[in-house]
Formats: sequence, structure tokens, C-alpha cells
Amino acid sequence: MLSLRSVTKRYGALTALDGVSLDIARGEFFGLLGPNGAGKSTLMSLAAGLRSPDAGALTVDEVVVSPADPAGRVALGLVPQSIALYEELSAEQNLRIFGELYGLRGALLRDRINEGLAAVQLAERRRDQVKNFSGGMQRRLNLIAALLHRPKLLLCDEPTVGVDPQSRNAIFDYLAQLNRDGLTIIYSTHYMEEATRLCSRIGIIDHGRIHALGTLDELLTRLPFEEEISFPATPETSPLAAQLAGDGVLLTADGRHRFQPRADFRLSAFYARAEALGLPPRLFTAARPTLEAVFLHLTGRNLRE
Amino acid sequence: MRVILTLVRKDIANFLRNRAAVSLTFFVPIALIYIFGWVFGLKQTDTGPTGIGLGVVNASANPAAEKFVDALRADSAFRVVTTFENPDHTRRPLTEADLRSLIHDGKFRYAVVIPEDVIRRDGIGLHLKIFSDPRNEIESKMVNGLLQKAIFSNVPELLGQSLQSRAREVLGNARFDQFNRGLAGAITTAFGGDPAQVQRDLESGGLGLKQVAKAAPDPTLRRLDTPAPAAKNGAGAAPAATAPAKPNAPEDFFSRLVKIDQEQVVGKDVRSPLATRLVGGWAIMFLLFAVSASSAAFFDEKSTGLFQRLLSAPVTRAQLLWSRFLYGIVLGLVQLSTLFLAGRVMYGIDVFGHLGNLLVVCAFAAAACTSFGMLVAALAPNAQAANGLSTFVVMVMSATGGAWYPMSFMPEFMQKIGKFTVVYWSMEGFAQVLWAGSTFGELLPILGVLAGITAGVMAIAVWRLNHKQMFE
Repeated sequence: MLSLRSVTKRYGALTALDGVSLDIARGEFFGLLGPNGAGKSTLMSLAAGLRSPDAGALTVDEVVVSPADPAGRVALGLVPQSIALYEELSAEQNLRIFGELYGLRGALLRDRINEGLAAVQLAERRRDQVKNFSGGMQRRLNLIAALLHRPKLLLCDEPTVGVDPQSRNAIFDYLAQLNRDGLTIIYSTHYMEEATRLCSRIGIIDHGRIHALGTLDELLTRLPFEEEISFPATPETSPLAAQLAGDGVLLTADGRHRFQPRADFRLSAFYARAEALGLPPRLFTAARPTLEAVFLHLTGRNLRE
Repeated sequence: MRVILTLVRKDIANFLRNRAAVSLTFFVPIALIYIFGWVFGLKQTDTGPTGIGLGVVNASANPAAEKFVDALRADSAFRVVTTFENPDHTRRPLTEADLRSLIHDGKFRYAVVIPEDVIRRDGIGLHLKIFSDPRNEIESKMVNGLLQKAIFSNVPELLGQSLQSRAREVLGNARFDQFNRGLAGAITTAFGGDPAQVQRDLESGGLGLKQVAKAAPDPTLRRLDTPAPAAKNGAGAAPAATAPAKPNAPEDFFSRLVKIDQEQVVGKDVRSPLATRLVGGWAIMFLLFAVSASSAAFFDEKSTGLFQRLLSAPVTRAQLLWSRFLYGIVLGLVQLSTLFLAGRVMYGIDVFGHLGNLLVVCAFAAAACTSFGMLVAALAPNAQAANGLSTFVVMVMSATGGAWYPMSFMPEFMQKIGKFTVVYWSMEGFAQVLWAGSTFGELLPILGVLAGITAGVMAIAVWRLNHKQMFE
């Protein structure tokens, strides 16, 4: 559905995308995971035809997408990172305008608006001005506005920023349903939970490059460990933390240490040291590593940096 | 085209839901036009005009007439024109026959003819002809006042000669000499002085009043051969042809002495001349504010991701730009029409008598103003800068373009600058329609200038908008 071949995009001295190649198949729910400034939004804007690449080729459904060819964008729907709605207008007026831009008219447009508003539980608020909506409601409307024309490929650029959990779940459920119905979705985010929950395949992007590509399980196999151990970051455990230097990566956040061992490090050695220091086993929790660990392992920095 | 119309409809719907924008576009200008209509009608606190074009034809052999022309030349209020340029660029003296067409063509708006019989044979006083295109009432009154001032200050002997001539003709030489002797005696008895000197002064047309001033230093007495205070700034010196004489007003004494045949060449049928000009000026200024605000909305649409959304649809950048341009014209047309309609209701401006041509000028003015608004958006780095820049430039253009007061009130270099503004040409268009009742053909030069401004400014704006990557 979407194909990038050695795509490069620069803004002055900054290389936002650096020779990216990527293929996304029809019906995929593809996650683009990376921190702020990694190149996610640039990749999305190129895919949406808002910009032209400086080098390389980009096609959607084998059609070259570019700012100069509006017809090539009919197959696309873009959910921008910001809430791209006219806040003085009602929900229905917004949808009518965006629908008409895709050539929808009359009863067909009316039906699509009704379906969309019902799908995100906004039918009762259709005549209210968008500026009177909560952030979650605006996000849901922001999503619907990109779907009225039934695109083949939906580009979601961090569509849940600042959304309450209830609206986020509603958006996730709706996207999952759309994907089950055959819609190809590219979903950019810096929340690993979203990528883990929604995406059938994930690309890890940083500094304009795709560092890894695959399903969650495939990505996890890139890690040199199968489990990571977390324990409280207290004065009591600090001698243990000091002994772990050189045996793996020790992350500290939110009052807890997370120890990701080297490939040749045996966990039995870890527990032996803890016992020798008089630390009880209840302090330690072993867990399957997350995408964040994969990101850290591949890029050397945290997703939230 | 359907995409552009959808985008225009979007902008209109957005505008109509924004009460602040609607108020600023329609209600505030109407309120201000109403208030300033009163202010301009009731108070005139100017310091005097400069450089008003004045055609002068001197057909009199009287040396005092030439002195009068020199006095007009010396007055900074006037730019005196006494010659006509032939097609081969040679010059000849202006004639009375030239004046109407030159005024009609806008070469100047006022002209004075000093006829051969400047001293009237059929009565007491002078005979002058004034031709005018009084499209500004304040300016017209000032011009009349300034002409009277020039006569009374510089050539009062013309009036004296007239009196002497008429009296001598009626009384005969012997009786008139006796009358002069008696008058000189009465003056010197009352105020002092030499009777023989006063009589000589009277006979030369000097009215003998120099002796009064010397002998009677009482500050409450004003010399009758000096201009009245009101005539110094022109206020209140209504021409004899337009205002009835008031028996006790000093200037009316002179009005009776100076017979002016006044002929208004342009705008005879305009009922409310001041309002016609005022509404046009304020309307165009508020239109500039409205379209500038609309163009500054570009920045909002960019920052909120709306451009991303619109351009990810089958919409081109050109369609976005032209829809905004078309929206500006629609908004301007509605705003100008509404304000002129308000002018009709408040001041009786004859809108419906020239509706077709007025709408054409409004459309061209709206296009020019919209292009200016888009240029501001193209030049400014952000919305705040755009608002600041547009406020500054709109104010300057309105002031120099003549929206607030007649351009002749400003120094000549500013008058020249004003002619490069959208405001000036828009107001010229309105004046041509509402004042002169020009035909569409006669409007073409002004429409051409407005279209040229639009094309030039839009070309720069579009180039800059693309260059600054507004849409990325």
C-alpha cells in the first residue's frame, strides 16, 4: 500500500529523514514508534503528499504522491497531530466542508456524517461549536474528519495527544474496528503502550532512520535478554545497583531500578548477590521486556527523551 | 472551482460564527462613521490647506488684478495654474473656455476668472467668476474664504475704485468731490487726521481708513480693509451663491461688495458631499482591517494543522490562495455595500442612483485591499507581527490616502505618497461614481489602476507565501 524507497528529506542543515526504505502492506496496522523529533511527522507528511522528498520515491497504492498531484491524495486520510478543525463551526459544518473537498455531496455526504458522528458518540453534539467540545471529543471528531471519503490508507500522526483515557480507548477501539474492516493504518506515536496494543507491525525510528522493523515478538528477539528485573531504588539496594555495573543496563526511573542483563549474564548470579547483601526476594520483580527496552537497546536513548 | 467555492463557503461560515469579527467588520465602522460624521460636520479645527490646484484667468487690464494674481501665487494654500499645455508641449495662457474641461478632467478643482470688467459698471463691488468641483465641502468653503482674504488683504483698492467709480457716475464730478470732502471731514472730525490726505486716499480707492487706524488705536475697532477673523481660516466665509447674507456679519459686507458668479461643474446633484467622502474613506479603511485580519488567519490555519488537513485532501495550494482571495472580495463587497447603505440611511448618500458602477468599484477596491492583506500575511513572520504590521500600514495608508481628511491638508510630498495607496484610488473610484456620476467607461482608468495594484501585490504575495513555506 505504501512504499518508500531511499527517501531523504532535509530542512536546511537538518536531515529529518535519511534514506528511509519501507513497505507497508494492504490491511496492516503499522506503528511508527520514536521520540519527538525522530522524523515521524516528516514521514507522515511525505506520505500525505504535503511535501516532496529531496531524494527517493514514495508511492501509495503504486501512485506517486506529491503536493503537485491532488488526485493522488484521494486514497489517503490524514489525522493531523494537532486538532485541525474550525472551532467556531459546529461538528457537522466541519465534516460537511471536509467531505465536500473530497467530492462528497447530498445524501451520501449526509449519511457518511451521520455514521461518523455515531461511531465516535458525537451524534448528539453535532450542532455544537467545536470550541465547546472537550479535548477528547475534539480528537474523536478530528479522526472522523479524515474518514468521510473512505480512504484506503489512514495516516494517524499521534492522534491521542492530550486525550483522557476514556476517549483514548474509544479511539483505539474504533481504529481497531476500521483495521479489521480492511483499512490500512499507519500510526505514529511515542507511546509504546499504544504501539504494543494496536499495531501488527512496528517500525522504530530515530534521527531520521528506521532502526528496526517487525512484529512485537520479532523486535523483542533483538534484545539480548528475555527478562528484566526491577527493584526499588533505595539506600538499602544501592550496593546491589553498584555491583551490577558492567553486567548490563541499569535504568532508574520513578523510584525503581530496572536491570536489563547482558546476553551472557545469568540471573542466578543476580539473585545470589542480592541474597549476600541481605535483600529479600520479595523486592525483585522479573518481567518480559517492553518496546521501550528495545528502543533503548537500539538507539541508546529513552523514548521520552 | 467547486473546491474553491467550498473553501470560500467555509471562510464565510467561519466568519459569521465569529461575533467579534462581524462586529468589527460591520457595526464598529457604522458607529464610527456616524460619530465622525457629526464631528466633521460640526467642528473644523484644521490649520489650513496647502497646494490646492487653482486655475486663474486674468482678462483685466487693471494693475490691481495682476496684484491679486500675485497674491494668490504667494499663498501656500494654492498651486496657481495660469497656462495651458498644448499637445506639442508648448504653453499658452489659460482661457475661460479651458476651465470646465480641465476641472472635469481633474487637473484642478477650482478656477478664478478675473473678467475685463472686474470693477462692476452695473453696481458697487467687484465681478469675479469661480468654477469649482467642490467634492469636499470643507475644502470648498476654505477656498472661497481664502479668495476673499486675498482680495481684502492685498487689493482693497479694487473695492474703493469700484465705489469711487460708481459714486462719481451717479453724483457727477462736482457733487462727488463735495461728497469726498464732506466724508473726509467727517472722518477726521471723529478720528483725527489731515482732511486733505484722507480725501486723496478716498479718491485713490483706499477708503481713507488708514487714517482711522493711526488716529484711533482703540483695540476694539477693526480695520474694515483687513480680513475678518473667520475669513483667515476660511471657516464661516460662505460664498454668496450658497449662503444667504447675514446683515451683521462683517464678511457679508464684503460678500455684497464682491459679486461672485459661482458655477459648480461636478457633483451638483450630490445631497451630502461630506458624508459621501467620509463613508468611502472609512469604509475602505475598515475593509483593509477586515481583509488583513482574514489573511492573518493563515497563520492560525497553519499552526492548528488545518493546512495539513486541507492539503492532504485533493486541494492545491493555488486553490487555497485563490479561495482566500475570492473570500476577501466577497467580504469586501458585502462590507462596502453595507457601509454605503448605512451612509444612505444616515446621510442620504445617493447609492441607488449609481448602484451598478458603485458595486464594480467596490469589487475592484475589495480585490486590491485583499491583495494587500495577503501581502501582509506573506511578509509577516507570525500572526502577531501580521496584526501589528497591518495596523500600522492601514493607518498610514488611510491618513495619506485621504480617508480621514482632504489630502490637500497635508504637505505636498505626502499628497504624492498618498497617490500610491489603495485607499486613494478606491476613494477616487467612489468619488467618480457618487460625485461625478461617471460612466463605466470613464471609470476604466481608475479600475485599471486598482486592477494593476491587485495583480502586482498578489504576484509578490503568492511568491512570498510559497517562498516562506507557509503551506508546509
